[in-house]
Amino acid sequence: MAIRMMRMALPIVIVALVASFNQPGRAAVPRDTLVYVKDISDMISLDPAVVYEFSGVEVAQNVYDTLVQFEGEDLTTPKPRLATSWTIQDAGASWKLTFKLRPGVKFSTGRPLTAKSVVFSFDRAIALNKSPAFLFREIAGMKEGDTKALSDDTVEVTLPKSSSPQAFLSILTFTIGGIVDPDEAMAHQSGSDRGEAWLRNHSAAAGPYMVERWDPESQVVLVANPNYWGKKPALSRIIIRHIAESSNQKFLLENGDADIASNLTPEQARDAATKPNLKVQTGKSLQLVYMAMNIGQKPLDNVRVREAIRSAIDYDGIVRDLLRGTGKKIQTIIPEGLFGYNSNTPFQADPTRAKSLLSEGGVASGFSVELMVPTGPAPGGVKWSDIGAKIQSDLAKIGIKVDLREIAQAQLLAIYRAQRAQMTLILWGPDFPDPDGNVGPFTDYGANSIAFRNLYKDDRLAQLGRQAAVERDAAKRKEMYRDLTERVLHQGPYVILYQPTIPFGLQKNVTGFVWSPIGWADFSKVAK
Amino acid sequence: MGRYIVRRVLFIGVVLFGVSVLTFFVSHIVPGDPVVVALGEHAREDQIRDFRHKYGLDRPVVVQYVIYMNGLFHGDLGISIRTRRPVLDDLRDFFPATAELASAAWATAFVIGIPAGVLSAVYKDRLLDHVVRIVALVGASVPIFWLGLVMLGVFYYRLRWLPGPGRLDVFLAQPHAVTRLLLVDSVIAGDWSTLANATAHLILPALALGYFSTALVARMTRSAMLEVLGQDYVRTAYAKGLTARRVVLLHALKNAMIPTLTIIGISFGSLLSGAVLTETIFAWPGLGRYATASAVSLDFPAVMGVTLLAAVIYPIVNLVVDLAYLFFDPRVRYA
Repeated sequence: MAIRMMRMALPIVIVALVASFNQPGRAAVPRDTLVYVKDISDMISLDPAVVYEFSGVEVAQNVYDTLVQFEGEDLTTPKPRLATSWTIQDAGASWKLTFKLRPGVKFSTGRPLTAKSVVFSFDRAIALNKSPAFLFREIAGMKEGDTKALSDDTVEVTLPKSSSPQAFLSILTFTIGGIVDPDEAMAHQSGSDRGEAWLRNHSAAAGPYMVERWDPESQVVLVANPNYWGKKPALSRIIIRHIAESSNQKFLLENGDADIASNLTPEQARDAATKPNLKVQTGKSLQLVYMAMNIGQKPLDNVRVREAIRSAIDYDGIVRDLLRGTGKKIQTIIPEGLFGYNSNTPFQADPTRAKSLLSEGGVASGFSVELMVPTGPAPGGVKWSDIGAKIQSDLAKIGIKVDLREIAQAQLLAIYRAQRAQMTLILWGPDFPDPDGNVGPFTDYGANSIAFRNLYKDDRLAQLGRQAAVERDAAKRKEMYRDLTERVLHQGPYVILYQPTIPFGLQKNVTGFVWSPIGWADFSKVAK
Repeated sequence: MGRYIVRRVLFIGVVLFGVSVLTFFVSHIVPGDPVVVALGEHAREDQIRDFRHKYGLDRPVVVQYVIYMNGLFHGDLGISIRTRRPVLDDLRDFFPATAELASAAWATAFVIGIPAGVLSAVYKDRLLDHVVRIVALVGASVPIFWLGLVMLGVFYYRLRWLPGPGRLDVFLAQPHAVTRLLLVDSVIAGDWSTLANATAHLILPALALGYFSTALVARMTRSAMLEVLGQDYVRTAYAKGLTARRVVLLHALKNAMIPTLTIIGISFGSLLSGAVLTETIFAWPGLGRYATASAVSLDFPAVMGVTLLAAVIYPIVNLVVDLAYLFFDPRVRYA
């Protein structure tokens, strides 16, 4: 029997060996193709009205063109895309934004993109009411019917006076502002889904690329859109491979089977930088890693105690020794890159001052507190538990005993959202690239977000945030955000620890790769 | 015999019911909110409410179970909270990759484990026996995760003998999906270069996943063979003048296969659990990774779907193993 088995196995072994010595994968990646390896396990849809996950957003941004767009790392000035110009008019009880569309733009299907396409796309996103719909419905205050086609090439959007036109323009740069080919979407309608099921893994768009295929948990393949109105992309094919393990990403990159790797650890990035055929590039992110202190839990209700905790933490040590270059120390609630960023960093471990503040707060002998930390890695590649341990050790120096509770993020969020946490280590990224994407959640208790979770009620501050959101005078708006961030810095229930950066490993011949802090790279600008 | 099989199949139904009750209620008492995971940290209360309603999560757990079972009897495994697709579609997409990998790993256990065990027993206490025992001991001891990374590091990264992670090179078009088993589909399509490439991609993950089972099978075959080789009927066979080859392969091995078969059946469980890690390391788009992602996301319908599928496969595999005893030992009777 054993011999029979060996005989059966022999052909398999021969085929395998022949195959292994004749692998097509050994050839270098073709010059017109980009192989980009990353963890895309969060991808659930590529429909611009549905997608809200990091990897799906990156794909959809490259496929669906928007009326306006930020270019590169600059998130302060929206630039023309499908709209060549726009005006913002104060119409008394509302704002009127009028967009003039670029002439001659066609979808990948060959159909023309008109004002009706914009109306369809915006109304569709509002009607489907999926994860990103709140950006239109609640942040912008839009309803179906608020977008009107004045002519074939002119669109008017009416916003309530409580909304910020600046924030709306920022929202339009995001995937939800992507313009969908109405005829193509409706041709694939199932029930009343306006093509949602079909657009999950197909595209009907006017951007530089089209979705060729998406094999879940495996890869997404994009091909250049032959009808694209802009400059023809240098790369005709983008393959985004799902490689979850960072060590595998490194293997593929170093062996030349990948052009870009996006989930390298700080150590792997440093190692990749020493290889002759590779380079490492850092991408900015708008995320903030912070520790929250629930004001509903004594003695964290005391502003002196909170200030003592802020004063006891060794921020420089976290950035230097744990993150090793994959994060920047910032301490205010608006990250660098957004309008209104406040670079003030007054805190660095000062146990003497911290102890004195604790004493003023009536807890000179210290106290015990629980700190919830998520499992797995934090932005910047370091483990959440390592940051938690560092904070535990820093606070121990002023007599605060921190009990670390490592817990899966799903469970942690359930406790945090229910206002039941004491201290929580977590991250935040704005939903849209405008300071209001952070200021509202961090300061407005009524927004039912971060301030709510930490029982932080400061009506004057929330009011200031709402005013700043709609202020059209840039200098005045900046001043308002300065006041606001300074107040939260010393009064708020937050210890902002760092703003992470993302190390990318690239083949040396890859050029034009610029990571937008919103969370995507424009593949049409990449060449090799 | 027929009645025995019917009884066993009915028993699978009982197992399924038990597993469904256990999995459903255990997954619902786990702390954490799948809706928060699905909608993200920024989700508004009304979105959460709507989502909960849509997936029936706002109803009592018992009612949810009854609705689930009703759907199950109609072939509906529900909608995955994470992927937002019917669980049945997800299973259809992801299961074939795991089936291919697990079959290859199982084949490894047969093709390498049994001959290694036989040779080890025949050459007891000689160099070959020591080598097999050491290799088997390592196989039974090393974690799959570590083994997979080392294999990739050596055979793909350093030596470049075998391809890297994934089922197929990215530049190769997948064959038309008939069974979704790449090897089978490429044969159906007559696409030999894809067949060769997919086979090459399968070697490392199959060896990594199958190593543990191979080691168990080799050790069990060795000990069973040693016991059998000392029996009177083996001595009689030799006395009759039969060649050593005939005695070992026809007389001894057939009897030694009974305990080995048991181990092979049991090792299927380790293949399923090992697939979770192997698929992660080798970027294998299979059920193991789907199960992990679903569990982490508290995606109850998906977890239920995967568990029920495993609960169907495992008893079927064991039934097949039990029936195989009939071939190896005519004394076995099922009534």
